[in-house]
Amino acid sequence: MRSLLDFIVKKAHAFLFILLEALSLLLLFGLNDRQKLAFMTSANRLSGTLLEWRSEVEGYIGLKGENRRLLKENAYLRERLLSLSDSLELDMVSREGGLFTIARVIDNSVRKDDNFITIDKGRSDGVDQGMGVFDSRGVIGVVGVAGSHYSVVLPVLNSKSSISCKVSGSSSLGFLEWRGGDPYRATVNDMPYHSVVSAGDTIVTSGYSSAFPENIPVGTVEKVEQQRMSYTLTLTVSLFVDMSDLRWVYVNTMRPDPELDELQRQE
Amino acid sequence: MEPLSFLKRLGTMAGLVLLQVLFLNRISLFGYVTPLFYLWLIVRFDSSMSRYSMLLWGFVTGLAIDMFTATPGLNAASATLAAMLQPSMVKLFLSKDRREVIIPGRTSMGAGPFAGYLFLMTIIHHSAYFLLRSIPLEDWIVITAKIVLSTLLTFIAMLAVGYSADKPNQRRSI
Repeated sequence: MRSLLDFIVKKAHAFLFILLEALSLLLLFGLNDRQKLAFMTSANRLSGTLLEWRSEVEGYIGLKGENRRLLKENAYLRERLLSLSDSLELDMVSREGGLFTIARVIDNSVRKDDNFITIDKGRSDGVDQGMGVFDSRGVIGVVGVAGSHYSVVLPVLNSKSSISCKVSGSSSLGFLEWRGGDPYRATVNDMPYHSVVSAGDTIVTSGYSSAFPENIPVGTVEKVEQQRMSYTLTLTVSLFVDMSDLRWVYVNTMRPDPELDELQRQE
Repeated sequence: MEPLSFLKRLGTMAGLVLLQVLFLNRISLFGYVTPLFYLWLIVRFDSSMSRYSMLLWGFVTGLAIDMFTATPGLNAASATLAAMLQPSMVKLFLSKDRREVIIPGRTSMGAGPFAGYLFLMTIIHHSAYFLLRSIPLEDWIVITAKIVLSTLLTFIAMLAVGYSADKPNQRRSI
């Protein structure tokens, strides 16, 4: 008995080791993705100020390119506004709440197997889970978890991300997904076999989910492959947005039509 | 060199965690190589520390980094493993049984043994980290590349810091 006690006392650190390892593995494999993201948002609330400092410093460095991009977008929007002013006005009046919220990217990764983006807007700014995020160039991702002042976005470059999109000017739908690796390319899966699509076509959001309005640019088709087993097409898409160079983004804070939302939930 | 006080160690930990999450985690050479330099805290544990406090320091440091990367448990598990093995690794590279309190370093261990010790610690920690991160283990070539290249980068960084931190005849601690 005495020697057993001695043994336990002598090896007590080994028990602590097993306990800590078990706890780590439980956290790593026992939590679902949403819980893990929530873990991260709470951390980012602590580090938010620091991350903001860093992004401010980095912001100055990229100011010139950012200006050029905004000027270009301004010109494009002015043109659109002129040609669409009538229908646009009707559309805006019929919706409640603001259209888009501007947020700053304070943390970002592109080279991991699953990437995340942190933005400096959260629930108190009207940002919520499931809202689409894009910038002047095109689609970036969807809000995964919204904290009170910061949110974590699942970008296209995350294996969990799936965004409904279509070939511009047609109604062929597919899902934008990413298989890892190249941060400049993603794939559109499950597009119907009979769709008319060829390399060089533009992919845009479909507007069928409440995350994005219709026709936000996604990328250009590079390659079309036929999946004979499932009778679908898989498109390789070169993304418009360089995910490694993100600063200011728009969050689609437009509240989805409650009736549409309800219907989609029932499906 | 004196062992670190609790507060100094806490400060070093905070500094290393911030360095890791704000800058080093963004480094990704060739898509594979990320230095995990926070391991420095663990390799410098002095021999007067109890095994319990080593394990707890390792665990807390790993968990603090995990909080920023949506991978709760990943760094905690690998850092705890490194903290568990640290005393045996030091013993392995010390020429004789030493009674006095030592902080693993170039002056206390000798340049060669210290480098060997750093390398072994790094490869153990990085193997655990990348293996756990890559479960289910599908692409062995990529996983091996990640382990080897990241180990080399962290090892070189720690060696450089370790060599400049305690030059013989010059008392300066980091």
